[in-house]
Amino acid sequence: MTTILVVDDDNTFRTMLQEMLGKEGFRVLVAASGTQALTLLESQSPDLIMTDILMPDGDGIELINTLNQRNSPIPIIAMSGGRRSISLEFNLESAELMGVKATLPKPFTREALRRVLGETLHP
Amino acid sequence: MPPSSSTGMNESAALDSDDDITARYTRLLLRAALTNDPLTTEQALIDAAALGRDMVKREFPLEEVSEVHHAALVALAEAHPELSLIAVADKITAPLMEAYMAYSLAFREQLEHRTHTILSARLDQIRRLEAIGTLASGVAHEFNNILGSIIGFSELLTDEVQPDSSGARYLGHILKSSFKARDLTTRLLDFARSVPETLEPVNVVPVISETIELLRATLPVHIRLIMEEGPGQAWVMAEHGQIQQIIMNLCINAADAIQGQRRDGLIRVGIDIRPPATDQPGPIVRLSVTDNGEGMTPEIQARIFDPFFTTKPPGKGTGLGLSVIHGLVTGMGGTITLESASGAGTRFSIDLPALGGHTPGPGHTAPPKDLPP
Repeated sequence: MTTILVVDDDNTFRTMLQEMLGKEGFRVLVAASGTQALTLLESQSPDLIMTDILMPDGDGIELINTLNQRNSPIPIIAMSGGRRSISLEFNLESAELMGVKATLPKPFTREALRRVLGETLHP
Repeated sequence: MPPSSSTGMNESAALDSDDDITARYTRLLLRAALTNDPLTTEQALIDAAALGRDMVKREFPLEEVSEVHHAALVALAEAHPELSLIAVADKITAPLMEAYMAYSLAFREQLEHRTHTILSARLDQIRRLEAIGTLASGVAHEFNNILGSIIGFSELLTDEVQPDSSGARYLGHILKSSFKARDLTTRLLDFARSVPETLEPVNVVPVISETIELLRATLPVHIRLIMEEGPGQAWVMAEHGQIQQIIMNLCINAADAIQGQRRDGLIRVGIDIRPPATDQPGPIVRLSVTDNGEGMTPEIQARIFDPFFTTKPPGKGTGLGLSVIHGLVTGMGGTITLESASGAGTRFSIDLPALGGHTPGPGHTAPPKDLPP
């Protein structure tokens, strides 16, 4: 069973995504920050990480950067409600530059989620 | 300016017309030329300095100063033909220099003060826009997160209800509203997009229609804001945010000109690609904002781009909007002109050099762009 780690500081959104991915047949792990995610990754090895970008405690860019430095093979999908307007550290474009597999602007529909998951897991 | 002889008017009284300046100046020179009393000469020097400062305070144009001087000398010569040129020159040199020095000193101070005020006002405006941008993008970012949950849970709930039930319909409405809200936050984020320093190719059509959508929400209901039929795209070297700022400012001014004048207010925003005029190297993109408001008298039109000139009541306008727009348009290599008639409305036209060199006629590349009010 494919395991996805969801990293988002917004509790409601995290729960929603957990439910939605569960219904799609994935096993879901959750973390509320980049720091928590790194702790979790010490004992777990998910097939995919879906992370928010702007989080108060260890943001998504930091998480992506750390995983890049460790040459982590786990594909990442970056999510954000911000666009270009938010300063560079917090936007999806910088995540793209850092080599994430896909980006998913919030809010997204289930259809968009399915498409991006398909592209990422079965390219 | 007619030469004027002494009228016996109190010289220190506040005077209102430029003629009075000439009269004061003439009397001053006369007194200095005719007296042998050191005290009178001293007083003439003091009055000369006061006169110089007054001329600046009254924003007396630099080029008219010599006219005043000439008029005063003519008056002096007519009143006292017996005075020799050398005697006059000798006597009036001191007060003349005093007035001139006071004038140039005060003139320069005023100029520096103005430049400083204009610069800091522009800086304030840029900072304010930046602050609004940061705030708007922060709010939009938060809203997108919230909408993510609403849309996600609504879709999950759709699985739980009968497809043809009322619940399914209600969920459809929730989703539809959420998508509307998402479109709004997208527009907010685009609007607040941080400003690049350099000009880049910009298709002004979507930028302007997006700005109009935002503006429509802020205008009073009796003012209709429409986009006229035009080309599907019009490219210029510009800066996205500056085009927005120009259109916003012109439309807000237009709304102010309509406000209280009539019930059927109409603002039309047009984009047009025009072939080059004789003095232009290539085609131009003309942006126009036309209102059916109160219009402007020729006197107001002449000063409309002056910094700090405003017809709005105190606190309503800084009088900087149009001068800033003028600066922005010039910075893009364009020009801004206006046509107006009192009571009939105003049209501002901005001509920017078109990119690409193609000149499709209006309506050539896209369906009509007339947006519903």
